[in-house]
Amino acid sequence: MNYDILIVGSGIGGMESALKLGDMGYKVLVVEKEPSVGGKMILLSKVFPTLDCASCISTPKMAATTHHPNIDVMIYSEVEQIKRGKNGKFTAKVRKKPTFVNSAACTGCRQCEMNCNVAVPDQYNSDMVARRAAYIAFPQAVPKKAVIEREGTSPCSYTCPAGIKAHGYVALARVGKYKEAFDLILETTPVIGSLGRACYAPCEGECTRGSLEGPLPIRRIKRFIADTHYRENPEPQRRFPETVGKKVAVVGSGPAGLTAALHLARQGYQVKIFEAAEQAGGMLRLAIPAYRLPKDVVDRDIKNVTALGVEIETGSRVENPAALKEQGFDAVFVATGTPVARSLQVDGENLDGVMNALEFLSKINLGQKIDLTGKTVVVVGGGNVAIDSARVAVRLGAQKVIVQYRRSREEMPAHHWEIEGAEKEGVEFRYLSAPLKFIGDGARVIAVKAIQMELGKPDAGGRRKPVPVKGSEHQIAADMVITAVGLGPDTRSFKAELELNKNGTIMVNQDTLQTSVPYVFAGGDVVTGPSMIVNAAGQGRKAAFFIDRFLKGEELAGAGYNYRLPPVDQQKVLARQKSYRKLEPVAATEHLKRGVRDFSEVEAPLSEEDVWYSTGRCLDCGVCSECSQCIATCPANAIDMTMQEERVEVEACAVIVSTGFKLFDASLKTQYGYGKYKNVISGMQMDRLLAPTRPYNTVLRPGDGKVPDNIAFVLCTGSRDCTVDNPICSRVCCMYSVKQNQLIMGALPLADVTVYYIDVRAFSKGYEEFYQQAGAMGANFVKGRVAKVEEKEDGNLVLYYEDIDNGGKLSQAEHDLVVLSVGLLPNAEVFNLFSGVKLEADDFSYVKEINEDINPAQTSIDGVFVAGTASGAKDIPDSILHAGAAAAQAAAYVERTRMSK
Amino acid sequence: MKGEIRDVREIIREEMLMRAKIMAALQEGPMTVPEIALAVGRPAHEVMYWVMGMRKYGQVAETEEDDGYFKYRAVLGEGK
Repeated sequence: MNYDILIVGSGIGGMESALKLGDMGYKVLVVEKEPSVGGKMILLSKVFPTLDCASCISTPKMAATTHHPNIDVMIYSEVEQIKRGKNGKFTAKVRKKPTFVNSAACTGCRQCEMNCNVAVPDQYNSDMVARRAAYIAFPQAVPKKAVIEREGTSPCSYTCPAGIKAHGYVALARVGKYKEAFDLILETTPVIGSLGRACYAPCEGECTRGSLEGPLPIRRIKRFIADTHYRENPEPQRRFPETVGKKVAVVGSGPAGLTAALHLARQGYQVKIFEAAEQAGGMLRLAIPAYRLPKDVVDRDIKNVTALGVEIETGSRVENPAALKEQGFDAVFVATGTPVARSLQVDGENLDGVMNALEFLSKINLGQKIDLTGKTVVVVGGGNVAIDSARVAVRLGAQKVIVQYRRSREEMPAHHWEIEGAEKEGVEFRYLSAPLKFIGDGARVIAVKAIQMELGKPDAGGRRKPVPVKGSEHQIAADMVITAVGLGPDTRSFKAELELNKNGTIMVNQDTLQTSVPYVFAGGDVVTGPSMIVNAAGQGRKAAFFIDRFLKGEELAGAGYNYRLPPVDQQKVLARQKSYRKLEPVAATEHLKRGVRDFSEVEAPLSEEDVWYSTGRCLDCGVCSECSQCIATCPANAIDMTMQEERVEVEACAVIVSTGFKLFDASLKTQYGYGKYKNVISGMQMDRLLAPTRPYNTVLRPGDGKVPDNIAFVLCTGSRDCTVDNPICSRVCCMYSVKQNQLIMGALPLADVTVYYIDVRAFSKGYEEFYQQAGAMGANFVKGRVAKVEEKEDGNLVLYYEDIDNGGKLSQAEHDLVVLSVGLLPNAEVFNLFSGVKLEADDFSYVKEINEDINPAQTSIDGVFVAGTASGAKDIPDSILHAGAAAAQAAAYVERTRMSK
Repeated sequence: MKGEIRDVREIIREEMLMRAKIMAALQEGPMTVPEIALAVGRPAHEVMYWVMGMRKYGQVAETEEDDGYFKYRAVLGEGK
């Protein structure tokens, strides 16, 4: 892209230069970092001294700039570097930030904004009110297109193996949109109630709030959402998507199979699930005890899938998945999990009373009665399945339940809360103890021959290896032994058709989950080995994506699956706030009692108040929560969450920097209490209160909404002040304050206005008359510097000042609102733009005009010009004048270089 | 009114949370910001952020001025 002139910044100076150059016939590119052109002027109420409406002056220029045939505008874009090439032209690298809204389709209707669930400070209203993560910058924005602020994917969402938008459903629950929250999770997986209870919640491990007081209880919020939805909707709405005429077989009805079936059915495939067990649900049904995951919840989760027309055939073992093609299936997804228990390889494993954990748990979960009253049960193993078995044994009446584990507690793979729960229910733990054999009295086990272990050197995995202690053999009496030492896949019958790994798992292309047979895909534990429910669900979702592509005849390799923005930097999230209110997490409540005899759920659900409190702790890390409400409500289908950042290079003969100014941060004058006292505001905030697009309904005190009737202005806040390293006059504060005086007296006729000043600088055309007019209207001008401000109990403010006109005595006065007329500061960012050559600054860090008197706007770099307040504090007329000079200089430069060629 | 001001970002974030409580309070009739603050048990300057955010997004609107304070009433959201 080649231009005659590149203009950085689209405030009044940048727009004026662009329009003049465009009218002269030059091709101009304007790069603006905000989502709208207009700079700061569009945010003002009126301009001085004419009291013309700032919007009325700005908006025609904004529209003219964006629609001018010779001007291109890149909004929401930042110039990263400008370098002069060998041909003498400038090359600029521009970063186009993704707006996540298709600007051609967006009509500016604000539906996305109205339905967005994330509130952040509105920088276009000086942080006095909220805007949304999805927003249009301000009502007069040009272009009037929405932007979605996304700083990255929130860590909770990013870390979810299934891709569940955790931040999204937390944000929806925060506003009580439980149905929408449920639907959002259902977009990813049907096993919502199950995950709400039995997920190990990697999201919580990444929650940024975890580094403050502790993470949000994200899993339990999900449970609340599922429970609420299931209570209100015991049966799902049956909805059969339009069929595409192809059939897919899913082998296995665990979380992977169910999730894949959901996605495939939504795509219009006729899906049938084959389940070897008598009831569907896989490990959710068979392995997880009902006290952790009630089976009616599993049933209801499954109905989310069958409601789409998916058929489930139970008691149907598939020995050869590839052969399902002969039954008319176009593709097959194998998700048979890891249903085989590993053997301990010790004598006596075949004795009566010795059972593997999966068999034991399955029997109970399928309703078989086992009475362990008065029995001693030894559970061998240290994982969660071992703990589940032990706690089930307690519930079956066992008098004594012992978990035998060969390492120490620290090495135990089971989650600490599971161990603690078991302890509270009376389970005994024998650490550093391993079985040597199971001793039988005839065919029935009566004891475990055990040996004491000690931890030796770390093994290949880094864990210290348990080593037997010589001579420590002993016996543990046992009526029943449950072995829980790992699970594996049952893939022996698949061997003939599918390539397997050494451990029996199915070999797949890790990117696509396609097996050695092209129409057979596999995922979940049968591919990964034993894992988490949420991992399996993620695999099911991924498989469905690639099966769909396969059946559509689309390329699998390189297909963009599950694109997400990178995770947001948690340190940056925390740095957004100067302070945090301490909000402790809600306590985990489990109904635990020694010797419990029933299978009722142990974990107490969160109350709605708990959910309200907990979701309120969310820091909105990624800003946008990805709750999808904007997508759901946009009538133009303009939301595109896959939009990505672009970097473009442009070439230009000349450059105009019109990067404007910064406002002085009033909180640096600590004696005035800005940011500490509620009713001390800045001049820019007062301008917003007076603007037609104001944040409040009129001029009100931010402290309590009172209509102020005694307002003070403190001039020269942060200018002409060596204590804040800004010794120069900002040239506009006196007059914008006088403007505000007049506007206030118009808006609030009964209000008293007092201006504390050092001297009023009314230097330009009409300024003196304007100042006199304010006085005539009733503004009280008090000559004297304000020393400090104090807040009273009622929010009023006491100003201490030197009353120069009355003998210089120290005086005080009470006001109900104080406006600090803050000064202007240079925008130093401009100096980082140029590479290979230095853009020089003047003594006050504004862009230096090397010969201001006879060559205005010319900078230290040949071909680079400065327009407006980037070169020094100016009022609007002077900025426009200066921008015209910059345009003329740039045009002359372009012509001069052309002539020299 | 004296007391710590929390970080503005944190206060504003809570608008989403406070919306239902404020709407519930306004079911009793229009209220001023200090009255709403009393009803929801939060400081007036924080309520100011929430009420003005809700006003911006069409959930509340001002009614009459009463002794220096405007009253706000619940209205049907523009986005609904």
